[in-house]
Amino acid sequence: MKTRNIVLMLMLCFVMVFAAACGSAGSTNNEVNQGGAAEPTPQENTNGEAAVEEPLSGELVVYSARNEKFVDALLQKFQDETGITVKALHAGDAVVNKIIEEGNNTQADVLISNDVGSMEHLRLQGLLQGSEPEGIESIDPLYRAEDNSWFGLSARSRVLIYNKDLITEEELPQTIWELTDEKWKDQFMITRGGNGSMVAHVSALRNEWGDEKTTEWLTKVKDNAGAITDGHGDIRKAVGAGEYKFGLVNNYYYHQQLNEPSDNNVGALYPDQGEDEMGVFVNAAGVALIKGAPNESNAQHFLEWILLPENQKEFSFASKEVPLNPEIQTTEEAKRISDYKTMSMPLNKLGEVWLDTKELIEKAGLDLEIK
Amino acid sequence: MNNKQSLQKQHTSKVRKPWFRTFFHYCSVKWNKLWNGHPPDYVLLTIASITALVMSVPIIYVIWRSLFAGSERWLKLLDTRIPGLLWNTLSLTFVVTALAVTMGVALAWFVNRCDLPGGKTWQWLLALPLVIPPYVGAMTYIIILGPRGWLWDVWGSQPWLQSIFENYPINIYSFWGLVFVLTMFTYPYVFLIASASLRKMNRNFEDAARSQGYSMQSIFWKISLPFLRPAIGAGAILIALYVLSDFGAISMLRYMTFTSAIYYQMGSFDSVAATVLSMVLILITIVVLWIEASTRKRTVHQTSNSYKPPELIKLGRWKTLVMGIVLAVFVLSVVLPVIVLVYWSSIGISMGAINSKFWQYTWNSILVCGLASLFSMLLALPLIYLKSRYRSVFTRMIDRLAYSGYALPGIIVALGIIFIFNNYIQLLYGSFILIAIAYIVRFLPQAMQSGEASLNLISPRIDEAARSLGHSSLKILFKITLPLIMPGVLAGGALVFVSSMKELPATLLLRPPGFDTLSVRIWVEAGEAVYHLAAPAALLVILVATLPLRWMLNK
Repeated sequence: MKTRNIVLMLMLCFVMVFAAACGSAGSTNNEVNQGGAAEPTPQENTNGEAAVEEPLSGELVVYSARNEKFVDALLQKFQDETGITVKALHAGDAVVNKIIEEGNNTQADVLISNDVGSMEHLRLQGLLQGSEPEGIESIDPLYRAEDNSWFGLSARSRVLIYNKDLITEEELPQTIWELTDEKWKDQFMITRGGNGSMVAHVSALRNEWGDEKTTEWLTKVKDNAGAITDGHGDIRKAVGAGEYKFGLVNNYYYHQQLNEPSDNNVGALYPDQGEDEMGVFVNAAGVALIKGAPNESNAQHFLEWILLPENQKEFSFASKEVPLNPEIQTTEEAKRISDYKTMSMPLNKLGEVWLDTKELIEKAGLDLEIK
Repeated sequence: MNNKQSLQKQHTSKVRKPWFRTFFHYCSVKWNKLWNGHPPDYVLLTIASITALVMSVPIIYVIWRSLFAGSERWLKLLDTRIPGLLWNTLSLTFVVTALAVTMGVALAWFVNRCDLPGGKTWQWLLALPLVIPPYVGAMTYIIILGPRGWLWDVWGSQPWLQSIFENYPINIYSFWGLVFVLTMFTYPYVFLIASASLRKMNRNFEDAARSQGYSMQSIFWKISLPFLRPAIGAGAILIALYVLSDFGAISMLRYMTFTSAIYYQMGSFDSVAATVLSMVLILITIVVLWIEASTRKRTVHQTSNSYKPPELIKLGRWKTLVMGIVLAVFVLSVVLPVIVLVYWSSIGISMGAINSKFWQYTWNSILVCGLASLFSMLLALPLIYLKSRYRSVFTRMIDRLAYSGYALPGIIVALGIIFIFNNYIQLLYGSFILIAIAYIVRFLPQAMQSGEASLNLISPRIDEAARSLGHSSLKILFKITLPLIMPGVLAGGALVFVSSMKELPATLLLRPPGFDTLSVRIWVEAGEAVYHLAAPAALLVILVATLPLRWMLNK
């Protein structure tokens, strides 16, 4: 008797699931059809202006390399304000290569990335398309692609976060090169070399030092680091908690740790500030428009929407990054970009060397290393 | 006599040339001989063959792609990556398997052969860790033993501890931390299998040994253990295969094996390196399977007549110690993790973690897992029916192919599915159906095993009777066999459902934008140390997984 009841219950469940699956399968087919319908009519792209004025509906597929906590609220806001359903894939730096892999089967409309290097790399591969969204002039040309296929919105400077209970600012290494010193063995943390911020940073170091010295730095730092993590979140937490004295992170992780209810006695050191030293490496986070985006008009609308001052502010504030647009207010803990010396390399240079850098990192064995 | 032959006759009658007729005749004879005189229905055979082929296609495709990676790429990876990964993977697999087997056999012995207080209750209490996915276990132990975990808090408040050890001595993010977590949540495989064969063991052998003056110790080593060999082998292979394919616990505890390396390579879509590493992992898996198969030949069969149930051993003064061990294992592998999850879930619920998003993730999980389980049941039917009713080389081959996705790590299945759909079946790429397909490829054999167990209980005579009344084998399957084996088939479906709920790496790689499942959320939130959001999802997965446990224990 009992088994029969279970059997009946199970049957009922499966009928429900199946019915729902048929329903959803139907809707995915519709989506595919929409995408398919857009593809064979390239003339639709040419009168894209007209498309923008159509009542907004449908969906927007966003691939995001950023921590999903930083973008979720923003995407929700977009969905609420426009009625466009946002479908987001938060998969870290993997999304960049996913876009490459899907080159002839484009899924994404917009990429939100933490790293200019990867966006410029995509542009050089011919996977992005240029546009002229309204409000683009609020971003310094230094921080956008020549065809505006990508543009930066917030700055990410590479700093050393340290635990003030364990070490003082004077005792810390004052330059990035000093991380290779034996005396810091097992006292600091870095991310693995596959991390997008790390790839960009290494690219900048190559530009400054050349490949040989950069490889030496990579190998030595790999051995010296006490822990190598997948992301920076682990570093700020561990340094805040005193597991390690300091770690190499982007500056906003320091701002985040300051705002923790506990373990927040941390400081940030902006390295390489001396007279003839190279300065801090600054990367930018921003958005890019994918070529052949299945929902192109919605994507265009998103770009203009995100360039609205309040949304620019929201983009950097959720992660406590510093907005690139000087008109936009910064969070109180943040140093302004003008307060410290930065590297001279233009950001879009990062794209050309992106692959080589990954190879260099792989050679040094830091690409997969986690300890 | 049946369709095939009448079809052949039609064909051959049209053909004029005699040698052609001879050829067809030869084929038809061979074909009939292959099936011992009664070949199966064509519809069934076609469905089964296609299913089996589809099951193996993702893996074959990965192997194919890896062969075209180019020798330069292979050499480079062999030079740099592979040695380290090989050492990491093999040492972990070996240590975890050895420990889990020791633990599982010892516990099974205590529970089934000793007068343990609580008796048979322990049988299912000690099997409970099976429902906790190791990545959830890893999360709970990061909370308990982590660098700033619960134990560390206790540490801080106990100065005498600090005076003994200068620093907090436990590092969960280490080889031994990972070994501990994996052992704690995989030993039940061995425990269950060893228990089953201990219960079946005939007392006569031990009595004979005892009459020859053997001590209890030497009886265990010389009589019981050799009888347990098949059980130990089967358990060990399950654990080794699990460790080879685990991604969640390994990545949470910051370790690197082939599976996690493939994930990171594929995560960064370095598909060439990923296929090369997959190829090596496939080879390792095959070696493990081969080792097990080649040692199994030396098994002893015990006669089942004059069966006497074994006698319980009086533990005497050892009772406290044994009880302590059993209790410790239970607390460490079930009680503590559940307490952690309940604690964080209650925090999560008070912070509003059970919101519409949570139900959306739950629904997504139910949707893909339900779909996978439904189709697994449907597809398993022709396969098991052919296997048990029409034994031949052909059906055995079909059966082997269907198992290929089961033995190999899920990450490789996901890899193959991505390649195939992105390149050839773009219409479905980016839909959640891909996840369901991965689950089916992975877990169809679970549905098959359970259905087969029921089917073997039904006499083929019933089929023969039906056939003599002129029913086709398709009709027999649906009208007669299916209603009889329904409970077994449904149990198989439930198993597939639960395994799919817990599956992580393939889900992570295949999820389309905006489609997260519970297991993905557990992994993401735990990775960010947002435990109040991870715990409710983990608790729900565990609760669902307990449902078919009763059936599994009876098996």
